[in-house]
Amino acid sequence: MSEEVTPTTPPPADPSQDGPAPGCHAETPADPERRGFLGSLSSLAMAGGLAAGYGTFGCFAARYLYPAHAAATGWMFVCEVGRIAPGEALAYKLPDGAKVVIARQGSSGAAEDFVALSSVCPHLGCQVHWEGQNSRFFCPCHNGTFDPSGNPTGGPPKEPLPRYPLKVEDGLLFIEVPLEGLA
Amino acid sequence: MSMLIGWLKERIPVSGDRLREMTNEPVPNHLRRWWFCLGGTPAYLFVVQVVTGILLAFYYQPSSRTAYESVRYITEEAAFGWYLRGVHKWAATLMIAAVILHQMRVYFTGAYRKPREINWMVGMCLLVCTLMTGFTGYSLVFEQLSYWGATVGANITENVPVFGTLMKRMLLGGDTYNANTLSRFFILHAAVLPVTIVLLLGVHITLIRLQGVTELEFEDQEPGEQKHFNFFPDHFLTELMIGLVLMILLSVLATALPAEMGPKADPMSTPEVIKPEWFFYVTFRWLKLFSETTAILSMGFIAFLMFIWPLVDGAIRKRWKGSEASVWVGLFAVIAIVGLTVWEAFVAH
Ligand code: HEM
Ligand code: FES
Repeated sequence: MSEEVTPTTPPPADPSQDGPAPGCHAETPADPERRGFLGSLSSLAMAGGLAAGYGTFGCFAARYLYPAHAAATGWMFVCEVGRIAPGEALAYKLPDGAKVVIARQGSSGAAEDFVALSSVCPHLGCQVHWEGQNSRFFCPCHNGTFDPSGNPTGGPPKEPLPRYPLKVEDGLLFIEVPLEGLA
Repeated sequence: MSMLIGWLKERIPVSGDRLREMTNEPVPNHLRRWWFCLGGTPAYLFVVQVVTGILLAFYYQPSSRTAYESVRYITEEAAFGWYLRGVHKWAATLMIAAVILHQMRVYFTGAYRKPREINWMVGMCLLVCTLMTGFTGYSLVFEQLSYWGATVGANITENVPVFGTLMKRMLLGGDTYNANTLSRFFILHAAVLPVTIVLLLGVHITLIRLQGVTELEFEDQEPGEQKHFNFFPDHFLTELMIGLVLMILLSVLATALPAEMGPKADPMSTPEVIKPEWFFYVTFRWLKLFSETTAILSMGFIAFLMFIWPLVDGAIRKRWKGSEASVWVGLFAVIAIVGLTVWEAFVAH
């Protein structure tokens, strides 16, 4: 920082003055082959450096934007197995506010006895609702319909309504559900 | 005054003549016909969107807890908020309509043919960006219809082969609509897409400048008539006039048919009658007609065909000289699109 730098406008180019500017030393011509090799080597290094630098930045940015983890789910206690008799059902409220109907169809006492249908349409994710007069689930988005056990009966959906995973441990019924919702 | 100009000239070394030469493109006479100004209209409306959008963003809060309330505040409490929101909404509608009309004009006058194939593709990218901006903007209000529209839209991307799941997760910021979703939509809507549109417009206009507007002959043209007029001031004044008319139109629409608010989004229940915005009626009806994969693959194929149409058309015209196939294909497409849109508009399900 000892020298004082004064910004000056360069004088307008003068065609008669095309020699090296004063203060620059004219280069002694080096071996042209070696010079060419060094030149392409340094271009390569520069290109590699640029690619690596911005590439790393790009990767970090992409990773940052990619959502961290799949929505967390957890096992929630529902009730003792005996609370729902075969042929009956129980309405259960999930942490995110959704209601799930858990129906018991068998009497073995294992998790296979129970069905908990999700109301999320397997087509494009709208909420289906029960239509009592037609005994079917109806999806208002693209007119999908499902029978009472969730099998597709009409409209674009080709898969049944998804089921929440259930398990029985020591005579207690558990359901696996998302732990967070919007709100 | 002249001192100031001299001072500026020393610092900004550009000559007035060069500037005039650069901006003063000779415009072919047919641009005196209003339908050739449809390209300038979306550009003008885009500026309206940037201005009103920035103003809306002063009060808008992109989170599922606050979004609906902040839009309500803009609409009901902020001074002239209803007006700005109305103008933003109506300019979006008109902008999409103008882009579609502009594209139809280019199509039916064959202006996408050699050497303008690339500019047609740039235009297709602009169309896609505009539709995506409309989609993400509509979702920002966080009302029932826009929430379910966003859910369905994101799930559609999931069906794209190979990249579907990645695309959906990137769009929603998770597997389903979640607490990060609205901020993603907001930043796409207010930053990423507008900047992309500006860059694409830059390429679009540069190419137009380099290639010149397609020259057309009209029957009512006198043989010796001058073929061009000046961009500046003649064409510029036409555009100013269109701008004034649009401003009045937008104000009238925003006042007479103000932007309203539907019921707040409820992730637990899909409303009985659900519709997207009018410009997605076509795709919405298509989704009801075909199974998921068929619908999405066919839509992708149609979009791809539109994208490369200049090349397809070139090949057809090479094989069958003077073929008018493109006109028939275009007519069929317009009738199909209008038909599906009207169908969707008039039935509940
Ligand atoms: C390509 C141009 C654009 C289009 C087509 C567009 C479209 C839309 C649409 C359809 C809505 C929903 C309107 C409603 O129902 O109230 C909206 C909302 C919004 N837009 Fe845009 N927009 C554009 C550019 C921008 C820009 C550049 C910004 C900000 C820098 C912006 C900021 C907003 C905000 C904050 C909202 C939410 C508030 C509200 O809904 O009133 N927009 N936009
Ligand atoms: S989302 Fe249910 S039918 Fe399409």
